[in-house]
Amino acid sequence: MSSDSTGALPREGGPVSRVRAALLQKRTRPGEHAYTVLRWGGAGLFAAVVVALLISIAASSSQALAHSGVGFLWSGTWNPAAGEYGAGILVVGTLLTTAVAMVIVVPIGLGTAAFLSELAPGWLAGPLSTLIGLLAAVPSIVVGLWGLIVLTPIFANQVEPFLASMPLLGWLFRGEAYGPSILLASVVLAVMTLPTMVALSRTALAAVPVADREAALALGATRWQAVRKAVIPAARSGIQAAVTLAVGRAMGESIAVAMVIGNRPALPTSLTAPGATLGSAIVNQFAEASPGLGASSVIALGAVLLLLTVAVNAGGQALLRSGGGHRAGTAGALR
Amino acid sequence: MITRPSARGWKNTLVGLSALALVSVIAACGSTSGGGSTPSGSATATPSPCGSNTVLSATCDTETQASVTLTGAGANSIEPFFETVFYEYNQKNSRTTVNYSPAGSSVGVSDIQQATVNFGDSEIPMTSSQLSAATGGTVLQIPVDLGGVAISYNVPGAPANLKLDGPTLAGIFDGSITNWDSPLIATVSGVSNLPNLAIKPVHRADASGPGYDLEQYLIDTAPAWVTAIGTSTPSRTWPLATVGIGEQLNTGVATYVSQTSGSVGFVEYGYALQNGFVNAAILDAAGAYVAPTEASIALAGAQAANLSSTNFNVVNETGAGVYPLANFSWTLVYQKQSDTTTAIALGKLLDWVVTTGQQDAAALGYSPLPANVASLAQKTILEIEGSTGTPLFSS
Repeated sequence: MSSDSTGALPREGGPVSRVRAALLQKRTRPGEHAYTVLRWGGAGLFAAVVVALLISIAASSSQALAHSGVGFLWSGTWNPAAGEYGAGILVVGTLLTTAVAMVIVVPIGLGTAAFLSELAPGWLAGPLSTLIGLLAAVPSIVVGLWGLIVLTPIFANQVEPFLASMPLLGWLFRGEAYGPSILLASVVLAVMTLPTMVALSRTALAAVPVADREAALALGATRWQAVRKAVIPAARSGIQAAVTLAVGRAMGESIAVAMVIGNRPALPTSLTAPGATLGSAIVNQFAEASPGLGASSVIALGAVLLLLTVAVNAGGQALLRSGGGHRAGTAGALR
Repeated sequence: MITRPSARGWKNTLVGLSALALVSVIAACGSTSGGGSTPSGSATATPSPCGSNTVLSATCDTETQASVTLTGAGANSIEPFFETVFYEYNQKNSRTTVNYSPAGSSVGVSDIQQATVNFGDSEIPMTSSQLSAATGGTVLQIPVDLGGVAISYNVPGAPANLKLDGPTLAGIFDGSITNWDSPLIATVSGVSNLPNLAIKPVHRADASGPGYDLEQYLIDTAPAWVTAIGTSTPSRTWPLATVGIGEQLNTGVATYVSQTSGSVGFVEYGYALQNGFVNAAILDAAGAYVAPTEASIALAGAQAANLSSTNFNVVNETGAGVYPLANFSWTLVYQKQSDTTTAIALGKLLDWVVTTGQQDAAALGYSPLPANVASLAQKTILEIEGSTGTPLFSS
C-alpha cells in the first residue's frame, strides 16, 4: 500500500518531496526487512512442508501402488488379514458418510446461521453462538466416545428400527439394527462440522450490506423472503466456502468415525449397515506398521484421501464459479 | 448487552479453573519430589542388603537410587493388570513411575522397534521378521502375565456359561448362524429356549491378541472356519471383518456387548470380569465345556512345559478342566540398554511384576504365572545389559 502511494506522490519540490523522502526512507527500515523475510520465509516454509508431505506420502505408498496399480483406487476388497488391499469400498464409505452428513448439517447449519444473524434477539444470539463455539472445541475423540456410549444404544434400539419401519423410505434403512452404521457416523460427523458451518455462514450472512435487506423489505418481501432471496444469495460464496470446509473435515475425520461406523469393509446395503471409510481404516490399521505392503497400503489410503479431498474441493470451486456468474446481485435474485 | 456479563462470567470460570489446575499440578510436583527424597534419606542411613543396587530379589526389587519415569506401550488386554501392579510398585518404590499406554499389541511391537518406549508389550511374541526390524538390537521377550479370552454375550434370558464349541463359534463369527434360536446353538448348548433374537457378533477392528487366540482355536477345531478364511495361519487382524461389526480395543468391544442385546464378542477375561459379563463355556481338547475362571486359565498355563517366544501357543491345550482360550502376555525390552539408571529401574520393576506382582493377578481376571514360566521370565531379565554390554543384574 505504501509503495502505491509513494508512486502517486509528485516528484519535485517543496514539503511534499520531504514526505516522499521520509516514506522512501521508511521502506529501508529494519522492521521492513524482517517483515519481508517473515513473509517469504513463512510462505516458503509452508510450501516446503506441503511438498515434503506429498513427496513422502507418494514415496511411502509407491509399493502399494506398484503392487495393485491404479486399480488400488477402485478395487473392492480391503482385508489386511489376507493381504488384500483395495480402497474402492472405503472411498464409497467416505463419500457416502460425508454426503449424508452434509444432508444433515447444511440445512441445520445454514438455518442456525440465518437465525443467529438475522432473526435472533441479542440476548439469545450471544449465548447460542458461544455454545456452538464450544462445540468446535470438543476434541473429535470425545464426540466419538459420545457416539459410542450414548448414541449407539439409542440407534440400535430406537432410531434404526423406527427408520426401517417407515413407509416408502424404510428400504433405505433396512437390515440388522447394529447401532454403529453409516448413518450414525454421518450424524457424528454432522455434529462435528456444525460449528464450522454455522460460524462461517454466519460471517458471510453478516457481511451482506444492510441496504440489500432494506431494499428487499421495501419491495414488500417478508422477513423470510428477504433472507432467502436477498441475503443468502448475496452470501453464496461464503456459504459455499463453509460447506467446502465442512466437507473437508468430514472426509478426513478418522478416529470418531472408527468408533461409530462398525468398521465393516463391505459395500453398504443400506444407510443403517455398518461400513468403513478411508479414515477409519487408517486408524484401525496404522499400528500394524510392519514395513512392507501393509504399511504402504495404509499410507496409500492417506494419499487417496488427499486426492479425494482435492477433487471435491476443486469440484466445489468449479460449481461456485459456474453458479456465481448468473446471480451477480440482489436484484437478480429478487426478480 | 446482557451477553457481555455472561461472557465475562465464562472468563472468570476459566481463570478459576486454570488457577485450580495450576495449584494441583504444583501440589502433585511437591508430593512426588517429597516422596522421592524421604526414602532416599532412610536408605543412606541404614546399609542396604542390595549391595551395588543390581540385585534382583523380593526385597531389592523395590529399591532403586534414582528417580526414573518409565514409558511403555502395547497390549490393551494386559492394561487392568499393569495398571494395578505399576501403581502398587510405585507405592512401594516412589522413585519409579510408569506410564503405560494400552494402545494395542501392534503398537507395543512397533514402538519397541522404533525404540520410542522403554518397554513394549504384546499378547503375541514378536516374529523373527519383526525382531529383525528392531532398531535397537536384540529384543528380550519376557512373559509377564497369563490371561484368557472370554466369549461374552448379552442375550436376555440366556443362562450363564452357555456351552459353545468351535464349529458353532465359527458359524456365529462367519455369519452362517444368525439367530440365537438357531437349532445348531440349541443342540450344542442344550438350551432350547433361547430367544428369537438376531446375533450381533462384534470383533476387534484393530489387530489384537485375543483375536489371534480365538482364531487359533477356530482353526484347530472348525474346518469350516479354515475354508471361510482360506488359511490355517492365524493373524492378529480379524480375517472376516465383513461379518458383524468391528470395535476398537477390548474397551470398544466390551462397551458394545454391554449395551447391545443380541451381541456376542471376545474380550480379555479381565475386561469381562470388570464388566460383569456372562461368558460362554468353551469345548476344550479334553471334551469338556469349560468357562473362563482364574483356575481354568491357570490350568491352561500349566500345560506350557517348554514355553519360549517361539513356542508360546497355549490355545486348546489338552488336560482336565483346561480353558481353551489362554495366552501369555509378553513384555519387550532391548537387551542392551543405553542408560544404566533407567535399565536398573526397568529390570527391578519387571522382576517385581513377574514375582510379587503376580499376587494381584487373580482378583483382576488373570492367573499367576506358573513357576517354570516365572523362572523363564526372571532368567530373561538377568540378560539385560548396561551400556557397556555386560549383564547388569545378579540374583
